[in-house]
Amino acid sequence: MNRFDLLNKIQKILKENLVICNIGLPSQELYKINDQPNFFYMLGSMGLSSSIGLGLSLSQNKNVISIDGDGSVLMNMNTLATIGNRAPSNYTLLIIDNGSYGSTGDQRTFTDENTSLKDVAIGAGCNNVVECSGDETVNELSKAIEDQNNSFVIISKINSGNVKIDPIPLNPITIRDRFRKFIGIVKYL
Amino acid sequence: MKISKKIIANLKEGGVDFYLSVPCKLLANMIDILEKDKDVYYSAVPREEEGMGICAGAYLGNKFPCIMMQNTGIGNSVNAIVSLLQLYQMPVVFLISYRGTPGEPVGAQGGMAKITEDILQTLRIPMLHCSSENDLEKISTFSKHAKVVESPVAILCDFNLMKDDK
Repeated sequence: MNRFDLLNKIQKILKENLVICNIGLPSQELYKINDQPNFFYMLGSMGLSSSIGLGLSLSQNKNVISIDGDGSVLMNMNTLATIGNRAPSNYTLLIIDNGSYGSTGDQRTFTDENTSLKDVAIGAGCNNVVECSGDETVNELSKAIEDQNNSFVIISKINSGNVKIDPIPLNPITIRDRFRKFIGIVKYL
Repeated sequence: MKISKKIIANLKEGGVDFYLSVPCKLLANMIDILEKDKDVYYSAVPREEEGMGICAGAYLGNKFPCIMMQNTGIGNSVNAIVSLLQLYQMPVVFLISYRGTPGEPVGAQGGMAKITEDILQTLRIPMLHCSSENDLEKISTFSKHAKVVESPVAILCDFNLMKDDK
């Protein structure tokens, strides 16, 4: 299973929640599979999906899923400590860990060598850290969303590999405003 | 505490209700005030760039965020400011302790001090430079301005303004 297959498998759960999606191919694949106004696509700032989702979950009550990658989490690992100390129960971090920088040509990341993001997340103080296969991810993500009392970090171990895909045609303000309209903040659209 | 109380009161008056900080000794009083304030959210964060991301999320969730940091933190955050806050036009207040300005005892702070305003200018970030107590009155209007122009804005507080705020 690669990232595209996994994103397809978890579509139903994503559609019902606020989603912050990592820059590059993850966002492009998600957009291609089934674009939704409650999906915030990152067009820049690699590494910050986990942090953006954390800020969003702290500021309103709906469930938030941050879709991140192993390369991006390695770039902003300090935020796991913030999540470990501050994440509210409506926050779920889904790390799609394919051991590879997929958007830049599938160079290996350190999770394909010695680094375990599960161990890092536990050490950083995160609650309910789950490492699972791609197939198990649907079930683990459902459990995380249904649990009203705990935040979760799910590390989904899948294969590398991408599908051929175009950049997202939406402009950033469109992404911003329709997302905030979905939450009920923007009234003018 | 007088200066720090005034700064926070003006930020709150400007609508800021979500605060993060990467600590600085010049921000210590403000952090104390915010930790006790039940009306707003406050947390420390390990790194400024990450704080920009959390502020972006808070804005999406209808908060008006502020990140407090040293001017060195701007150096850590340039891409997040440009490719996230400015790209999506998100209002965030940067409350900056301006290390390396006159009165600063640590020589090594001088390097970032020399280029801080140039960086902010290059990024086209509106600046409010506070060097005396009277300047603090401008903070609430300046914060509201961030929302009007949908942009991050920077408030720079000089070393000498903050250093004796016991």
